[in-house]
Amino acid sequence: MGQVQKDTPQYQQAREKMVLSQISLRGISDKKVLKAMSEVFRHSFVPKELVSRAYADHPLPIGEGQTISQPYIVALMTESLKPKGPERVLEIGTGSGYQAAILANVTKEVYTIEIKEKLYTKANQILRTLGFTNIKTRHSDGYFGWPEAAPFDCIMITAAIDHIPPPLLKQLKDGGRLILPLGNPFSYQNLSLVTKHGEDYTVKQITGVLFVPMTGYALDPN
Amino acid sequence: MILTAVFLLSLSALSFEILLVRVFSISQWNHLSFMVISITLFGFAAGGTFLNIIDTRKKNWEKHLSSFENIHIFTILFTLSAIISFIVLNRIPLDYFRLPLEPIQALYLLTVYLLLALPFFFTGLVVSIAYAFMPEKTGFVYFASMAGSASGAIIPVMLLPFICEGKLIILSALIPLAVIFLKNSNYTQGHILTRRIFHPKRRYFRIVSLCIVIIAGILIVKGGNTIVKVKPSPYKKLSQTLLFPHTRVTETINSIRGRFENIESPHLRFAPGLSLKYKGMLPDQTTTFRDGDNPLFLYQLKSKNDAQFSRFTLPYTGYLLAVHPKHILVIQHGGGSAIPCALASGTVNITIVEQHPQIANRVQQHYKLPVINQNPRTFLARSDRRYDIIHIENWGTSLPGSAALTQDYFFTIESFTQYFQHLSNNGILIVSRLLLLPPSDAIRLWATAHESLRSLEIKNPEKHIAVLRNWNTFTMIVSVQPFNDTNVLQDVSRNLNFDLVYLPKISKKNVNRFNIFDAPYHYIEIKRLAEAYRLGTEKTYFENYPMDVFPQTDNRPFPYRFLKWSRLKALYKMTGSRFYSLFMSGEIVVSVVLIEALGISILLLILPFITTLKENRKFYFSHMLYFLAVGSGFMFIELFFIKEYIFVFGDPVISLTVVITGLLVFSAFGGYWSQRISAKNFPIAIAALIVILMCMFFIFNPIMNSVIQLNQFLRYTLSLLLLIPPGFLMGLPFPLGMRYILNLPAQRAYAWTINGCASVLASIVSAQIALGLGISVIMILAISAYFLAFITLCFKKV
Repeated sequence: MGQVQKDTPQYQQAREKMVLSQISLRGISDKKVLKAMSEVFRHSFVPKELVSRAYADHPLPIGEGQTISQPYIVALMTESLKPKGPERVLEIGTGSGYQAAILANVTKEVYTIEIKEKLYTKANQILRTLGFTNIKTRHSDGYFGWPEAAPFDCIMITAAIDHIPPPLLKQLKDGGRLILPLGNPFSYQNLSLVTKHGEDYTVKQITGVLFVPMTGYALDPN
Repeated sequence: MILTAVFLLSLSALSFEILLVRVFSISQWNHLSFMVISITLFGFAAGGTFLNIIDTRKKNWEKHLSSFENIHIFTILFTLSAIISFIVLNRIPLDYFRLPLEPIQALYLLTVYLLLALPFFFTGLVVSIAYAFMPEKTGFVYFASMAGSASGAIIPVMLLPFICEGKLIILSALIPLAVIFLKNSNYTQGHILTRRIFHPKRRYFRIVSLCIVIIAGILIVKGGNTIVKVKPSPYKKLSQTLLFPHTRVTETINSIRGRFENIESPHLRFAPGLSLKYKGMLPDQTTTFRDGDNPLFLYQLKSKNDAQFSRFTLPYTGYLLAVHPKHILVIQHGGGSAIPCALASGTVNITIVEQHPQIANRVQQHYKLPVINQNPRTFLARSDRRYDIIHIENWGTSLPGSAALTQDYFFTIESFTQYFQHLSNNGILIVSRLLLLPPSDAIRLWATAHESLRSLEIKNPEKHIAVLRNWNTFTMIVSVQPFNDTNVLQDVSRNLNFDLVYLPKISKKNVNRFNIFDAPYHYIEIKRLAEAYRLGTEKTYFENYPMDVFPQTDNRPFPYRFLKWSRLKALYKMTGSRFYSLFMSGEIVVSVVLIEALGISILLLILPFITTLKENRKFYFSHMLYFLAVGSGFMFIELFFIKEYIFVFGDPVISLTVVITGLLVFSAFGGYWSQRISAKNFPIAIAALIVILMCMFFIFNPIMNSVIQLNQFLRYTLSLLLLIPPGFLMGLPFPLGMRYILNLPAQRAYAWTINGCASVLASIVSAQIALGLGISVIMILAISAYFLAFITLCFKKV
């Protein structure tokens, strides 16, 4: 298990620059979200060999064919959930654990599920080392949610999916919000916000997003 | 011996070409198979150019090149290059999507292109040597070449069910080596023309050939699941599905129609158009992928309740309009959610039509329902039963744009007319598709239904059509009776959080309520189109709309093609200014291949002029024109029949196989017969072909509409019989031209190059012409090409 990268003045400076140039200038204005983005050590969540690019304006591979999202997308998805502070949030697709860390900074409790065991183990270890006590992790299929902990105020799916999983809608509180990149996993997806209004749901398209397509190398067992 | 070599090399080369198309269909997408055509003919043509270049470079070149020794070397090189190029293609990390981003990808592409062209180059070289040095036997050379190619077209059809693509490529590449082991390869007659004796090296060649066979055997046995196994593109749905844990391929069935892979996974959850109000779990599913895409999902419906989820899907809204339906027809083309819809309706009379035999068989075994394995158009033409519901399920490929070249008769005006004619008095037609932005598919289908209803003299067609959507799919419902009461659809859309797109008398406040776009784009456009139809200005609407949404007909059946070249820039911006999204549009790929083929053709044609001395240039413009016309004419006819026969057989691969085999066999006999035709009768042969083609042009469509109603045996028989007159006559102009127009070996080699270049360009142009102007125009081009050849002959003394 590799050691978690510690913070340094250089990283701090890179974070501040990232928040200003990549996030604020693109229209993210929620102060809690901006604060979280400037406080969480993104460099701790990326593979060692990519640490120098941790605060760059693009996603990065984290192994297992998965990526850590571009900082702006992390901020946009978090802000779109309109967190006030006391929310309980379910995240599907822990990945590196970075998004869960951001959510943990702006909400009360985060439940995060990862289907890939290697990623789950690594993210869990990083989050524990960094002292996130309000994040609960689980290794399972996120499609079915976390029924014991339901209902949730917010749910976030961080992987491209071509439909909205019914079990997750069931675990959403009235007035709750679910954000996800909906659409063809390769061509493009629409970042969509599903809101529950009593018995009804609305799906609002926020913006087109393009998650890095998986390549042939991702399929290579070696 | 040379004729045997020509036969075997042509056989193996065509088999290699067809198998490469299969490899590209699996590892990439179908439309990239155009690249294979380009590679093949480029290789063939380069063989002729090579002969021309060395014409003046080497003394006694003709004797050296046409020695048996060299023919054997070329044969061995063919086999080696075919095997090596395939393995390189299969292993090289070539990724078309990265082309604009990574310069190394261009190098990979060039490497693959040149390597794959090599086997065709060696084939072309041997064939052009045969033409060049046996002018008196051009008919026999033509016969050997065409008969070999026809046999090569059959090999994949016969053997793919037993041997996978990669192994078959290696096996078929070994076939020409047989010429080295034949007893009649008499080295004492060292030259195909002269009696010049060469040192016998037969033993040496046989040892080399044996080594190749042994290595190939090891590759097949040891590398069957690694080095020679063709993997689907990582962007295809199969590759993405296999990334899920506990997901595995349980069965693979190979055939010329595609590679069918059955998948088991606990993570399959297919329910397009499912309402967010559905609270239950989806039933377990398995799936079958064709060429790594186009999945068909099969649900484990253990009890009646398991199909109830489909009552919450968008297509089921159409079922609510047909109370207690007695007969339901499901026309299946991928997907799989239509069958649970039909089952959930409670009816016991469900007819499923599925044209792929492997899929039909799987559906039948899984659901224990009768499945008719037929082209839907044939089935409807032969049936007089009426249905309360006809449900067409066809979601398309996983990559928008990649189906632009797909010729499909599901959604033409004529097919809609056929559907309506098979509906009962209160019948309902349901069509479900993915929702595209900018709006395109929904507009075209609405217009197609409108045109079809109008052709049936139904008043106010717009009152018979409804369109609903959720966030990513839409369903069009067409009713035989007008929608006088729209409450059912209004209520169900409200209750299940669907959005109305088009329904008589709906207002803007009732749309874009649950699945919210920045504006109700689809509603706005269909409303504008409906208004245009009322005012009779629909043509103006179609001309002004930024995409091609004109309703498709049987003559121009490309329902997934929306590109307007004049609006390319606007489309690029609308789709997010992403180069790759345009690059994957089939039509754009064809255009890129056309430009590339044009460049290579020009290079191959002018190279002999650059490299030879002026006094040695022996080819005249009229020669060039004649062979250009004959080469392109042949390919235009071939493409015309391939495209037309898709209507009859419902499957492009079957059509391709029938037409290529039929035309090549009949042309081969034509070539053989050409040996008996004198120079005097030469123009008459071409005139007869022109007359036959003109007759075909006028009578072809009525004949096809009758043929489609016949049983399978008669359909195949009549389709083949129709190919005899043009096929036989098409086999005359090339060998006759070689014999009577040209005098020198170098001229004949150059004519071979021209023929190859004309063929490749004509094949690509045909695809573009069919998309833009319709299939029948290809026949006009064929007639024009042969007419040009006739005129050239008339002005030149033969």
